[in-house]
Amino acid sequence: MGLRSLVALPVDKGGSVLRLTLESADEAATDVLIANLAYGIGARQTLLLGLPYRVDPGGDDRSGDGSLLYRHIAWQRDSFAGTRRLGLLVGALASSQSDDNPAAQIGAVYTWFENRNEFDADLVFQAGSGDRPDAARYDLSWQYRLHPERYPEWGLSREWHGVIELNGRWRDGEDVLHQATVGLQWVHPRAVLEGGFARDISNGSEELLLLSTRFHF
Amino acid sequence: MKNILLAGILLAFLVPVTSGARTLEVDIHGLTCAFCVDSLERAFRKIESVRDIKISLEHKKLRLVTEGDLPDDATIRQTILDAGFTPVRITVLPNAATD
Repeated sequence: MGLRSLVALPVDKGGSVLRLTLESADEAATDVLIANLAYGIGARQTLLLGLPYRVDPGGDDRSGDGSLLYRHIAWQRDSFAGTRRLGLLVGALASSQSDDNPAAQIGAVYTWFENRNEFDADLVFQAGSGDRPDAARYDLSWQYRLHPERYPEWGLSREWHGVIELNGRWRDGEDVLHQATVGLQWVHPRAVLEGGFARDISNGSEELLLLSTRFHF
Repeated sequence: MKNILLAGILLAFLVPVTSGARTLEVDIHGLTCAFCVDSLERAFRKIESVRDIKISLEHKKLRLVTEGDLPDDATIRQTILDAGFTPVRITVLPNAATD
């Protein structure tokens, strides 16, 4: 799974994953903490919750739009070398501010995993209600297992993955904002530490520092 | 008295055989990372007779050592499916092969 999107995350039946991500924007001078929780209702059904909270600057209206997505794995083909799966997404986006209108979300996520390579692609469209503009996002992510080259015969060693992503954000009436992200993931069976750097490639002005941790329980 | 003694000796040899550890291996498709290993371990730890769990990402295998009866095939397959993977083949091993 990539750095900018949680929707490709595999979750087992009854399993949960908590992810906390700090996004620090250079030009906008904001730090936002995003809490995500994923819960496996079944092996193919997952609930994904997300809530951003602005850490800095302070003031009112710190909570952003809360997101609830239901993911259904509609197709999956496992092999010795990896897996391919297609998930369908449906849900809602709601603001904690009473004067903001909610949005419906619909999308899809595809994962291709083979040996040391994982490729994830997702697209989510948000249909705004009232005066909320429609919006959409896409994430293309490639992860490569840097270490270990080969797994031990039995048991585990710590894993290091390199990540390269192309991400896009769009709101009705505005141009698509494309971003490139590079990062590194340290993967342990129960936890992941990851960090990355994202740069706006549409106008080159905005830079984002990403620090994230995931816990599997 | 002699018969009771003989029966006792016979029983002493039989008990370890009937209630000893049993081992099986399952070939699994779709195992891709360390998180998969944790999912499988947590799922199989819930089965009472399972004493030890080993997973090989290199060979895409799960090895279970149980105390007493082995879980049946349907339970093993469903546990793997619930964890999000595809069971391929279940092999019961002679215990000497697991040493």
